[in-house]
Amino acid sequence: MAIRVARRTRRKGHKGDLGAFIWLLLPAVALLVVTRLAPIGEALWTSLNDPQSDGAFGAYLALWNSETFRNSIKVTLWFNLIINPLQVFASLMLAVLLTQNLPAVGFARTLIFLPAAIPQAVSTVVWGIALRPEDGLANSFLQIFGIAPQPFLTSPQQALYSIMVIASWIGVGYWMMFLIAGLRGIPKSLLEAASLDGAGWWRQFFSIQLPLLKRSLSFVLVAATVANFLLFVPVQVLTRGGPAGSTNLLMHEIYRQALTFHDMPFASAQVMVLTLITLVIVTIQFRLLRPAT
Amino acid sequence: MRSKRTFGEPGALLKGVLTAVMIVVAAGFVAPTLWIAANALRPQQEIFTYASELSINTFIPVDWTLQHFVTLMTGPFARALGNSLLISVLTVVLGLLVTATAAFALSTLRVPGKSIIFGFIVISFLVPFDALAVPLSATFRQIGLDNTYTGLILPGLGHGLAIFLFKQFFDNLPIELLEAAMVDGASRAQTLFRIYLPITRPAMIGAGIILFMFQWQAYLWPLLVGTETKMYVGAIAIARMFGEYSTDYGALFAGSFLLALVPALILLIFQKQFVSSVASTGLKD
Repeated sequence: MAIRVARRTRRKGHKGDLGAFIWLLLPAVALLVVTRLAPIGEALWTSLNDPQSDGAFGAYLALWNSETFRNSIKVTLWFNLIINPLQVFASLMLAVLLTQNLPAVGFARTLIFLPAAIPQAVSTVVWGIALRPEDGLANSFLQIFGIAPQPFLTSPQQALYSIMVIASWIGVGYWMMFLIAGLRGIPKSLLEAASLDGAGWWRQFFSIQLPLLKRSLSFVLVAATVANFLLFVPVQVLTRGGPAGSTNLLMHEIYRQALTFHDMPFASAQVMVLTLITLVIVTIQFRLLRPAT
Repeated sequence: MRSKRTFGEPGALLKGVLTAVMIVVAAGFVAPTLWIAANALRPQQEIFTYASELSINTFIPVDWTLQHFVTLMTGPFARALGNSLLISVLTVVLGLLVTATAAFALSTLRVPGKSIIFGFIVISFLVPFDALAVPLSATFRQIGLDNTYTGLILPGLGHGLAIFLFKQFFDNLPIELLEAAMVDGASRAQTLFRIYLPITRPAMIGAGIILFMFQWQAYLWPLLVGTETKMYVGAIAIARMFGEYSTDYGALFAGSFLLALVPALILLIFQKQFVSSVASTGLKD
């Protein structure tokens, strides 16, 4: 607080401030404008100037009528509807477990976080080999429990769920760290007071920890949703959207239209849809990031 | 000690059960990584033998060999790994310069409209870059930046999250520090490089890790822009090896091992800053 007050009473607007401000900020802002803002303009322009169709919104009309795009949206929504609650729940369980007073708990935390640091291409390739139906690690593991070999990525019924497993192995430890930070921020005195009042562990968890963790949980839910809406690597490397379009997530559909079919207006219209969805989610996130008043 | 025990300190039995659960879960998470290491260090024919027959030898090789690393580093992967290192290191050096200066301006100067610029920076890191990679790559191809190191490095430099992290640290430095430097006649650059940066080492490390990981993890951008074999980065080279008609699995695992080892080492050395830099992104009030 003291800093804030000092800052506010400081001389208002030094003469050289504006000039220095521009020079110091110019490189970063220029880079952000070129690499983060201009592409949105580029996508908008390209999507509105489709030589293959009449009228400004031709590409969007084609999008609306495209069976592939509709399937891709369906797959993306279904994927997110399942994976996001699952990841939040799993990372919450892990965060609670790994904030207990257990031996070597810090080491366990590091091991579970480690997959988030490994490049996604590596995780994807290794999981791709482990999920091979005939001689993969996953089926040998299931065999221990007497479960018959599964087709995993080669089956339209299982491929999307296999990708969820890969994405969660990567993501859950990462989201767990945010929740551990949140749990640590809860004042110990609150829990001690409740304990003195005779509240047991479960009561303390549901009445104190969970409500106070709401902010962290919402943040993780929104951030995980953005990340999973844009999931790309496992699809591009392992399934190319198949079998039978069952894993054709939106980001891969954009890549396919742009790079395989060279249909930039169509791909750009899809980019605009994806950017719009992301911006809506991010706006919610932006509010969560602001300190609660 | 007492304060620790009062909140839900589990009894001995419960503690034993929780520890067991923790060990099983951690083992499950680490198993694929151990499998990479084991497969990188064992002869080719052992890889699938012990994958389809689960035993302790699945994760600990019977025979050890470094042959796969020799194969790997005498092949095209060596250049891809070098590309990854070059791009990541250059991004860290140039990126720290750009983001620290920007954060310094945002933190110390009083200029109207500052909050709008800061808002734009925050939005820029909340919207993942991948969403914009396809249209940006079209632009980069038009202006001839595809298959150049400049083209591969540029999107990683102005990382909004690194700016955000620096600004948080700078905001917490006492204003007297800045005023004293100004009174002594130090220029803004001197104030930043001689006074601010040396005492914000944790922020430097945190921002450096963010910048490094962005490039080391990158896949879609190098896939779009680094299409020539000589411009492949490690992640692309590994995915290509996997997609080949007859894959050398030993070399594939050795390459995976090296690509995972670099961030794992960074994680071990800078554990505290690593975790706090990813987990403290604005969640603190």
